[in-house]
Amino acid sequence: MLSIKSLTVAYGGLKALVDVTVEVAEGQFIAIVGPNGAGKTTLFKTISGIVQPVSGSVMFDGKDLLSIPPSERAHLGIAHVPEGRQVFRSLTVLENLEMGAHSMRGRADWARNLAQILELFPVLAERRDQLAGTLSGGEQQMLSIGRGLASSPRVLMLDEPSMGLAPTIADQIFERIEEIHRESKITILLVEQRVAEALEACDRGYVLESGRVVLEGVHDTLIRDERVKRAYLGM
Amino acid sequence: MNAIVITENILQALAAGILVGSVYGLMCVGLGLIYGVMRVINFAQGDFLMLGMYATLYLFGWLSLGQYLGPYLGPVVAALLGAVILYGFGVLLHSTLLSRVTGIRVAGTESEGHYPQLILTLGMSLIIANGGLIVFGSMPQGIRTPLSASAWEIGPLIGQDLSIFLNKARSVAFIVSVIVAILLYLFISRSRTGKTLRAAADNPEAATYMGINVDRAYRVAFALGIALTAIAGGLVATYYPFQPYVGLEFVIIMYAGVVLGGFGSIVGAFWGGLTIGLVQQLSTLILPVQLQNAAIFVVFLLIILIRPEGLFGRNAERV
Ligand SMILES: Nc1ncnc2c1ncn2[C@@H]1O[C@H](COP(=O)(O)OP(=O)(O)OP(=O)(O)O)[C@@H](O)[C@H]1O
Ligand SMILES: [Mg+2]
Repeated sequence: MLSIKSLTVAYGGLKALVDVTVEVAEGQFIAIVGPNGAGKTTLFKTISGIVQPVSGSVMFDGKDLLSIPPSERAHLGIAHVPEGRQVFRSLTVLENLEMGAHSMRGRADWARNLAQILELFPVLAERRDQLAGTLSGGEQQMLSIGRGLASSPRVLMLDEPSMGLAPTIADQIFERIEEIHRESKITILLVEQRVAEALEACDRGYVLESGRVVLEGVHDTLIRDERVKRAYLGM
Repeated sequence: MNAIVITENILQALAAGILVGSVYGLMCVGLGLIYGVMRVINFAQGDFLMLGMYATLYLFGWLSLGQYLGPYLGPVVAALLGAVILYGFGVLLHSTLLSRVTGIRVAGTESEGHYPQLILTLGMSLIIANGGLIVFGSMPQGIRTPLSASAWEIGPLIGQDLSIFLNKARSVAFIVSVIVAILLYLFISRSRTGKTLRAAADNPEAATYMGINVDRAYRVAFALGIALTAIAGGLVATYYPFQPYVGLEFVIIMYAGVVLGGFGSIVGAFWGGLTIGLVQQLSTLILPVQLQNAAIFVVFLLIILIRPEGLFGRNAERV
């Protein structure tokens, strides 16, 4: 469904991604892990179109994504829940969700999606008329995920949804993500610092280091891999 | 006797301040919308106001609107038609020039594109003002209707001694400005497009992830901002003589108003403009008319000293 081939991305002269290839099949849960600066966020931004690659291809459903303007990509069913949440701070919670539903797909399913989002994150229902900038970090993350879901995505890209959150809140958010995957069958791409949880939940995973894929494989291979155990799972 | 004269003068100045201040409020809303959404300081805003004045003047004359619609509606319709033309001009300027130095393209670059924006809008200002001089000539113009020199009398109040006079042209301008400002407010706060503009202003990157075309949102904001200021210009033209450099006088008023309103807040911009109008008219009670603009500046500097975030500014809520 999403097929990234030999992707190289550079900022100025510095390469952030080198020859990265990632295959995502419909309905899969893909984890992408790696240390700070590995290029995980860059990969998502390239898929969304905020960053242009030097070379390589990104295909979505057989369409060449790189030839489609960034703002059109959401309309194809790609939702990006960005690093650091990036809610619209001066808009209310409900308005944020409405903006999530800006795409044609989202507008068509608005009522059903809204009900589902508010059921998933009841706190958003309580705070629907509050300005998003005044929400707590955890609430903003829930809003950011809800906003992504409001577009009726086929692929949901989540960039470090647990960043900066207390462990119990992070656990909660993690459970919700798994629930979304289980019940809505949405394809998930998850970038996470909580490597153990991410690899545990995934169907398939990639380990990025210094812009390169150093390891990839299905769930079982990854969690048994000695290097992964040592470097990321502290075993 | 003396006390009544003083009261009358003060009330008269207050009334005039509210009338002209609301029109200033509308022009400030135009500038504030552009800044609030695009974070672009548009130095050419006064010149678009000037274009709005000439557009109103010519449309009013060519279409004989005075004859068909009368002195009340005629100039108003001309100003609104002029605003439509300036909206189109704004779209054109944005797509050919401004979009190159604003939006996602410059987000995250050094200075976020502010230097090129500054040079570009300054350049537009010079070209429009001097082009105006070539095309329109330097003769002061005005839109003369019977309303320009007539007034409604409120009163007599307090027995027979006190009356306030409301200039008819200014009163019409006041009513239209308030209506247009309210409509804009409803558009920005309630409509889907309005919310899209606010989202694109708030976080252009996230807006793009939502499928919002940030460039297009900026284009709407820019063209709309110019059109609003042009309406205000067309209304001013019914009671104030103008020439191609008139923009300079009003750009000062607009900046003072927008800064008072807490830079970037649309409601604040309107109140800021209204405050400027009141200061300007009240200052005539104690200062010679020539010092009106100086009074505006003094109040402006005082407020900047005391409340740099603006009189009506709120930090959490933008646009
Ligand atoms: N806008 C930018 N300009 C220049 N360099 C950048 C930019 N964004 C990222 N980089 C560089 O690209 C590399 C990859 O960054 P990226 O944000 O993709 O890493 P990451 O894996 O998401 O890291 P983290 O886990 O800290 O979020 C880093 O070396 C970073 O400094
Ligand atoms: Mg990152």
